Amino acid sequence: MADSTQMEVETATKPAAPLPTKPIFKPLKAHEMSDGKVQFRKIPVPPNRYTPLKKAWLDIYTPVYDQMKVDIRMNLKARKVELKTRHDTPDVSNLQKSADFVHAFMLGFDIPDAVALLRMDELYVESFEIKDVKTLKGEHLSRAIGRLSGKGGKTKFAIENSTKTRIVIADTRIHILGAFTNIKVARSSLCSLIMGSPAGKVYSKLRNVSARLAE
Amino acid sequence: MAAAVVKDSGFEALEKLKSTEPPVFLAPSSISEVARVASQYLFAKLKPHDPKSPFDELLVDGFDAEQIWQQIDMQSQPLLSSLRCEVKRFAKNPREVRKTENLAHGDSHEDDVDEMDMDGLDLDDDNADEDDDAELEANESEGEEEEEDGEEEEDEEDDEEENEGIEDKFFKIKDLEDFLEEGEAQEYGIDRKTKKAMPKVKKQNFSDDDEDEEDDEDDEEDEDGEFGAFDGEDNEESDKLGKARYEDFFGGKKKETKMKMKHVIDDEEAGNGNQGNENLSTHEKELLKLQSKIDQMEKANLDPKHWTMQGEVTATKRPKNSALEVDLDFEHNARPPPVITEEVTASLEDMIKSRIIEARFDDVQRAPSLPTKSKREAKELDDNKSKKGLAEVYEEEYVQKSNPSFAPATFSDELKKEASMLFKKLCLKLDALSHFHFTPKPVIEEMSIQTNVPAIAMEEVAPVAVSDAAMLAPEEIFSGTGKIKDESELTQEERKRRRATKKRKFRAESAKQPVKKARDTTTSTEMSKNGNE
Repeated sequence: MADSTQMEVETATKPAAPLPTKPIFKPLKAHEMSDGKVQFRKIPVPPNRYTPLKKAWLDIYTPVYDQMKVDIRMNLKARKVELKTRHDTPDVSNLQKSADFVHAFMLGFDIPDAVALLRMDELYVESFEIKDVKTLKGEHLSRAIGRLSGKGGKTKFAIENSTKTRIVIADTRIHILGAFTNIKVARSSLCSLIMGSPAGKVYSKLRNVSARLAE
Repeated sequence: MAAAVVKDSGFEALEKLKSTEPPVFLAPSSISEVARVASQYLFAKLKPHDPKSPFDELLVDGFDAEQIWQQIDMQSQPLLSSLRCEVKRFAKNPREVRKTENLAHGDSHEDDVDEMDMDGLDLDDDNADEDDDAELEANESEGEEEEEDGEEEEDEEDDEEENEGIEDKFFKIKDLEDFLEEGEAQEYGIDRKTKKAMPKVKKQNFSDDDEDEEDDEDDEEDEDGEFGAFDGEDNEESDKLGKARYEDFFGGKKKETKMKMKHVIDDEEAGNGNQGNENLSTHEKELLKLQSKIDQMEKANLDPKHWTMQGEVTATKRPKNSALEVDLDFEHNARPPPVITEEVTASLEDMIKSRIIEARFDDVQRAPSLPTKSKREAKELDDNKSKKGLAEVYEEEYVQKSNPSFAPATFSDELKKEASMLFKKLCLKLDALSHFHFTPKPVIEEMSIQTNVPAIAMEEVAPVAVSDAAMLAPEEIFSGTGKIKDESELTQEERKRRRATKKRKFRAESAKQPVKKARDTTTSTEMSKNGNE
C-alpha cells in the first residue's frame, strides 16, 4: 500500500531518444486517395453524337488513355462512355478532366477544341438556352438562331475568334467553351444578338473587347 | 362823419380788445363784433397809405372771417414790404427816425403810427385771432413804406454830402445821373417814371413771398431791393433782344452807383461804429484789414472742415452728389484710348500697304496636332472558322508569353518580314547598278539568340548580306586569354599545375556524388522501416 501511494519515478538514465526525421511522403495517387478504390465516370452519349463518336473514337481514346492515364471504354448497351482510374493515374483531377473532355465532345465540340480541356485547367463549358434570355416563339426563335450564327456561321466564328472561345449552337441550346472572362464576353455578345441587336453592332463591340482581352 | 364815428368806435373797440383776457378769444362770443369794428377802424386808418387797395372800407356785415381776411390781406401785402424797408433803414441809421417825423405825412399819421405800432406790439402775443395778425402786418407794411421813402431821400442827401469835392455849380453828379437815365429811357423806349415804379412793384411782389418770416427783415429788404433792380434791368433786356449793352455784363450804371452808395454808407457806418473817427490812418486801416483777416482765419479754423479736407471720406460722410461738384483726381491704371488723328490713320495705312507688298500677313496658323501614337496592330475580326483548335490557340498564347524567342511569328509579322526582305533585296540590286562606288550589303543587327550551329543547319531567316560565321561574337566562339600554349611548349611547372587543378576538380566532383547516393539509401531504408512498422 505504501508503495502504491508513492509515485513511481523513473530516473532518466539514458538521454531521450532523438526525434525521428521528418517524413517525406510522395503525393497520393488517385488510386490511393479513395482508399484504393477505383473511381468511375459515366458519360451518356446522345444519339446525334453516336456516329461522330464512332468516327473520332481513337482521337478520344489516345489522349485519355496515354496522357491522362485513365481507362476509357464505351458501353454500347448503355450507350455510355465509361472512365475509370488506374492505379498509376498521376493526379486526382485527371479523371475529372477526362470526363469533361468526353462530355464536351458529346455536347458538340470538336476534338481539337475539347482537347484544350485536358491541357488547361482554367477552361470551362457554359450552357444556356435562348429562352433564358428572351421568350421567343416560332419564327422569332428561328430568326434569333439565324442571327446568332450569321450567314455561313460568320457571326459565330467572329465571336469565337475574337474571344478565344468555341461556341456550339444546338437548336435552342448554346454551349460556350473557354476561359471564364472569355466566356462572359462571348455570352454577352450572344445575348445581345438574341435580344435583337444587329451583327454590325456586335462586331464593333467585339473589336473593342478583343483588344482589351489580348492585353 | 361816418368815418369819424367809425374812428371813435373803432378806437374804443381796440381798447376793449386790448383789455380782454386772451382765453376769451378762443371761444366764440360777442368779442367778434368788437373785433370787426376794430379791424374796420384800422383798415380805414391804413387806407391812405395804400393807394392800390380796391376797398374804401373794410366790409364786415354779412361777410365771414375768410372774406374779411382776404380784404385785409389785399391791403396789407403792399404795406408790409414798405414797412420792412423802413424798419431796416431805421435799424441801420437810428437818426433817420427823426427825419421821418418831419416828412409830409402829418402828425396825426405819426400819432396813429405810434399807436398802431404799440397796438401791433401788444397784439403780437395774441396769435389766436387772425385779425390781429392782419393788424401787425398792416403796421409793418406801413413802416416799410415809410422807410423806403426815407431811404431814397437819404440817398439823395448822401449824394449831396459825399460829392462836395467833385461837384460845383457846373457839375452835379445827380444831374449826371438823371441825364444818363433819360438817355437810357430814350434808347429803350421806357418811361423813366414807369421804370421807377417797376422796381417797387417787383420789391413788393418779392416781399409777399417772405411775408411770414419776421426775423430776416433786413436781409430780405436788401435782397428785394437788388432783385427789384435786377428785374428792372432784365425786363429791359428781354424786351430789346440782341441789343447787348455794357449794363448786361457789368451791371447797370444806376445799380452800380446805388450799390456803391450802399457800400459807402456801410463803410462809413462801420468806421463810425468801430472808432468813431471818419478818417483812419493807413496804418490803422492796415491793422483793421489784418484783424479782419485774422478773424476770418480763426473762424475757418474753428469751423468744421469741408469734407474734401477731411482725409478719407465715405459716401455717408459727405453730402449727396457732392463728389460731382469737386474735381477729383484718380489714378488711372489703364492707358487712355488712343486719340485717332489723321497721322495715326495714315501711319496705319502705310503699315498695311507695306505688309501687303511684302505678303507678310500674320495669319493664324493651325496648331500642329501632336504626333499620335502609332496605331497598334488592330486584330481584324476573322469571319472564317479558325483552323487552329482552341488548344493550339492557348498554346500559342502561352508560348508567346513565356518564351518570346521560340514563339513562331504571327501571320502578320511573317508577311511583314517577307515583304521587308524582298524590298531590301531589290534595293541592294538597284544600288549596285546605280552607284559608281559600290557599297557592300548593309549589316542588319537583329536581336536574336545565336546558337553555335553550323550555318547550313540553321533555317532561321537571316539577312542575306551577313555570313553566319560573323554572327557569333568572338567570345562566344572561344573564351579565354590570348596566351595559349601547346602541349609541347609547356614547362615542367605548368604541367604540374595543370595536373593539380585537374585532380582538384575531379575530387570535388567525386565528393559530391557519393554523398548524394548515401542520402538516397538512408531515406529509402528509413522509409522501409517506417512502412513496416
